[in-house]
Formats: sequence, C-alpha cells, structure tokens
Amino acid sequence: MNVLDVLEKDLVKVPLKSSDKRGVIVELVRTLTDARGYSEEQFEEILDAILARESLGSTGIGGGIAIPHAKSDVVSKVTMVLGISRLPIDFGSPDDEMSRIFFLVLAPSQQASAHVELLASIARSCTSKIFRRLLEQARDSEEVIHLFME
Amino acid sequence: MAVPFKQIVVYVDGSESSLTAIMYAINLAKEHDANLCAVYVVNTKALSDLVKAGIFVAVERDEYQRDLVLDADRYLNHAQRLAQQKAVEIETVKLEGAAHVLVKQLLKEREADLLVLGGITDIRSRREELASETDRMLRTAPCPVLVVKDDDDIWFEFEA
Repeated sequence: MNVLDVLEKDLVKVPLKSSDKRGVIVELVRTLTDARGYSEEQFEEILDAILARESLGSTGIGGGIAIPHAKSDVVSKVTMVLGISRLPIDFGSPDDEMSRIFFLVLAPSQQASAHVELLASIARSCTSKIFRRLLEQARDSEEVIHLFME
Repeated sequence: MAVPFKQIVVYVDGSESSLTAIMYAINLAKEHDANLCAVYVVNTKALSDLVKAGIFVAVERDEYQRDLVLDADRYLNHAQRLAQQKAVEIETVKLEGAAHVLVKQLLKEREADLLVLGGITDIRSRREELASETDRMLRTAPCPVLVVKDDDDIWFEFEA
C-alpha cells in the first residue's frame, strides 16, 4: 500500500480555503464526504475520530506537513484526502514551521497493516524538501497527481 | 530433478495478492508433497519509524501493534483454513520486525527451496521503487521465488 494506491483526483483539494487547523480538517473531511456521498452523520463520525486523535497530540510532523488520521469504519478501504493551502497554517508542528500540505488518512478498524503502510509511504514521499516545495506550488489536483507519478 | 520443492514458504501480508499466493502455495505443496510454511511479519519497524517521524504518539503505536497482531492471527488462521480444504499440512509463523530481513532469515533457517509471493508492485513512481517489502524479498531471497499474479481461477477453485 502506498500513496499512489489511494491518490484520487476527486480527493485532492487545491487550494484549501480555510485559515486555521480545525477549518482545514473540516474542509478535508467535507471533501471526502462530498466525493463519496456520505451523510451528515458520517461526516460527523469521521470528524470526531480525527479530532479525537488530534487531541492526543498534533499530527503536524514538521517540514510543512500534517497527517491527520484516524480509524473509521465509515470508509470501506484505506482512504486519503490531500489538501494544499496557500496560507501557512499553525498545526502545532514540533519544528514550529507552519503547514501547507495536509494528508488526511482514514482506515477501517480491521485494516491496520494497510493503514500503517500508507502512513509510512507518505512519510517517505515527503522526505525531499524539493518535492515538498513543488507540492506546495502545485496549481491543481492534476499537477499534484503528476508530481507523485514522477 | 523429479521433486524440486520440499520446503515452501509463502509470505502473507493481508493483501489480496498474498491470499492468492497462499492458494498457489497450497496447491504446489500438495503437488510436490512439500512442507509448507506461511509467514506473517508484524511490521514493528514501520511503527517505530512512524513514532520517530512524529506521525504516531506512543499510545497509538501500542494500539496499532495490537491491531497488527490481530491482523496477523486473522490471516494466518485463514491460511490454515485454506490448507485444511486441500488436506495440506501448513505451519504458520508470526514474526515481528522488518519483513524482508526476517523472511530472508527464515528462508535460510528452514533451508527453504521456494518462496511464494503475491504480486509485486507496478513501478509507477521512482519515489516508491524498491520501497515495498515484497519487492525487497524478491531481490534478497536466498532461494528461488515464485511471484503469483492475480488469478480468478484459483479463487473459484477454493470457493467451490
């Protein structure tokens, strides 16, 4: 399981419109909900799961990246929403750097292996500073997908 | 060589292709009257890497480690059920650590003469090239490797 296995055009949002941490999370969850036709109850369930995980410690990992994630049986398979913000967002990252690239990851409770593999794949993909800069500057979802395919 | 394979190891990671690999390995073991071992590696290295990267907090790592062990048990039990269907003896082994390193070690210890793997990943991006555990096993195994491609027929055979 890697980023390319789950990267889908309708689950990429460029640019994000929110200007704070909670707003970004809500916008990412809304992107998923709209793309998959989930109900408002399912939207709330996903949002609660993400916020509950976030309450344990920020998922801002530094380098301008944040990876909010949670288990949720609303999704039937491991799912990722990728958002890029033009505005720097304070996600509480350990390096105090503001975040612009956001990977929201959800996995059904019985797919722990795939969930862990995808998170590791995201971390590997974003180790390059040049790649992160290119992602931040991507104009639209097609350009984001093209960058990952290179 | 009349009977080339006597010690077959199949790597199970929960993916659909690894389930196909189990079925192939069971049929091969029956055909060759070989010993069959299914191995699942709980990827604790990935968990530690996620903590180091700041993606997981410690309590989360512990929770996921329990989940991964449950995953391992579920898939190894499934391998046993499939083997029973064909009246084939299967040994299941659950390990914890870096998958390709531990599988290579197991192959040496068991003097395995065949490793059966599910499909290796398509190369779609140079960033992900060689990152997959099955790709690494293919390249580092000390014995012949059979890479099983998706095949509906074998699923029908086992469902029948």
